[in-house]
Amino acid sequence: MDLPAGTRNYNYSEDMSIFRTGTQKFLLAALFVFLLTAPLWFGNYWLTEANLIGIIIISVTGLNLLTGYCGQLSIGHAGFMAVGAYTSAILTGQFHVPFLIAMVSGGLLAGAVGMIFGIPSLRVKGFYLAIATIAAQFIIIWIIQNWTSVTGGYSGLTVKPASIFGFDFVTPTSKFYLILAITIIALFAARNIARTRVGRAFVAIRDNDLAAEVMGVNLFRYKLMAFFIGCFYAGIAGSLLAHTNLTVAYDYFPFTDSVLYIGMIIIGGLGTTIGPIFGVLFIELLNVLVTKLSPALQTALPWLPSGFTSGIAPMLFGLAIILFLVFEPRGMAHRWGLIKSSYRLWPFSY
Amino acid sequence: MSQLLQFVVTGLAAGMVYSLIALAFVVVWKSSGVANLALGQLVLMSSWFAYTMLGTAGLQWYIAIPFVIVFAVFLGWLIERVVLRPLIAQPILSLITVTLGMGYFIQGLVGIVWPRSQVRFTYLFKGSPYHIGSAVLLRPELWAAIIALVLFAVLMVYFRYSRMGVAMRATADDQKAVQACGIPVTKIFSRSWMFTCVLAAVSGILIASIPGKVDNSLISTGLQAFSVVILGGLDSFVGAIIAGPIIGLAEIIGSGYLGPVTGWSGIREVVPFIIIIIVMFIRPYGLFGEERIERI
Repeated sequence: MDLPAGTRNYNYSEDMSIFRTGTQKFLLAALFVFLLTAPLWFGNYWLTEANLIGIIIISVTGLNLLTGYCGQLSIGHAGFMAVGAYTSAILTGQFHVPFLIAMVSGGLLAGAVGMIFGIPSLRVKGFYLAIATIAAQFIIIWIIQNWTSVTGGYSGLTVKPASIFGFDFVTPTSKFYLILAITIIALFAARNIARTRVGRAFVAIRDNDLAAEVMGVNLFRYKLMAFFIGCFYAGIAGSLLAHTNLTVAYDYFPFTDSVLYIGMIIIGGLGTTIGPIFGVLFIELLNVLVTKLSPALQTALPWLPSGFTSGIAPMLFGLAIILFLVFEPRGMAHRWGLIKSSYRLWPFSY
Repeated sequence: MSQLLQFVVTGLAAGMVYSLIALAFVVVWKSSGVANLALGQLVLMSSWFAYTMLGTAGLQWYIAIPFVIVFAVFLGWLIERVVLRPLIAQPILSLITVTLGMGYFIQGLVGIVWPRSQVRFTYLFKGSPYHIGSAVLLRPELWAAIIALVLFAVLMVYFRYSRMGVAMRATADDQKAVQACGIPVTKIFSRSWMFTCVLAAVSGILIASIPGKVDNSLISTGLQAFSVVILGGLDSFVGAIIAGPIIGLAEIIGSGYLGPVTGWSGIREVVPFIIIIIVMFIRPYGLFGEERIERI
């Protein structure tokens, strides 16, 4: 880790710490204060938006472990979210399982389903795996649509609000704190998974899987583990989404979202912890901007075609993905690193 | 029995259109190693463009179709020049995701330019359907099959015998070596994308003619066509032309018999994806694909 001039690590705990310097700790504390007091000055609209962003950050962090660290492309992440969402909804609704257990079970089942669809990854990669996960997405959604007795079919299910030890998370503010807490745990876990033996094995597989195998990394085990962890995160996120919206239906998890999640990790930066946060914020804030702005634009400029409002968002998302891949393939996280180092090194250039 | 005959006829015809889309995929894969996941969107955009030419502008087919083809060629050139050229020699992950981004972009563009979700498309292949025994064969279905076979033959000959075709195959194998031999790699990429877009345009016109409508579900049709590519093998024209009818038959027969019995909806749409998973487990390189042996 790059440290400012004059800062030295004198023991292992300092060497291992994620937040090392006073400035970092101060900024972290400031961020916490901001987030904890956020419900005070966010309106309901922004609070709901923040909840959604938190949920997507969890899901995309899982995808980042799978695709960004382990290099296994998955374009079916929304499908795995659906597995977690329905599992958790059914367990709390019909079997009266406590929310926390239901959420973790949703994650575990999503992880297991992900592992099944990840089995081909041992023999194939790249495009084949992309297609296999696309197939997973469509098969999962199809099962949800047709297994009416369990999933409610096309009409979906109503979901109980999340509740922990008798406290029901009904208001947007209480949901915000719940999602914030789980997002922080998820990010912290992801950061630490990435620098353990497992995370290093993932990176080795991503960089060259044959070389990794020759070095003694068990490909089958670690690839499946990557699928399990990535889809576990998706399941947790799906469960939170179900308990936030209080309904769950098959069309909450469209294929286009799976593609967008890939776009988010590309924009944020593959294989970095902070990348998913940047990517999700970028896309979601762009989405808010477009939804707020495009009807106004449509009325102000009547010559715009009538499909402008619905078409402009996917167009901009696609454009953002292409532009980042062409001009900044390492994503916003790389740019952020450059900004940080130029701040640290000022007034020198290196 | 008569029901089965009808299923076979419809399935084969639907499969030939899948074959065409699969051919469009194989062309780019064979010459530049790029997996084009935006095929569905390309097909969608070309069929909307054909609708504008034939329906809105009311042109005769012999004027309108060349317009569509020229548009497709231009689109292919544009995509290669603007999107793919800067990404030459990037990892496969970038090449796949850039086509996803492109698909998203085209989808939005189509939504802006053609905001209606569905229109009638009954301009080509008019006339009464043919009868084979008790089964009905629509005229556009027959034409789809014929055009797919002709284009397949043309592509086979081109890639096997013409200098440019051989150069394209060589490029897929080793870009650096080909460039060292003095073959213009960028020109090859450009040309392969033009081919892809033309094939996508032809399949867009045909696929809109069979049910007589253009609608936005063509995007998922493009995704279902990947089952043909997977089953046939990524780099095989023969695989694409054989696997297409297999998938078409599986879809139509599966949904025709299972649908009424089980009451499930959307069987036809999900069958290709189930086939993809089965192929992945049993024979991931497909029926005719080349199994690559990797070295460090």
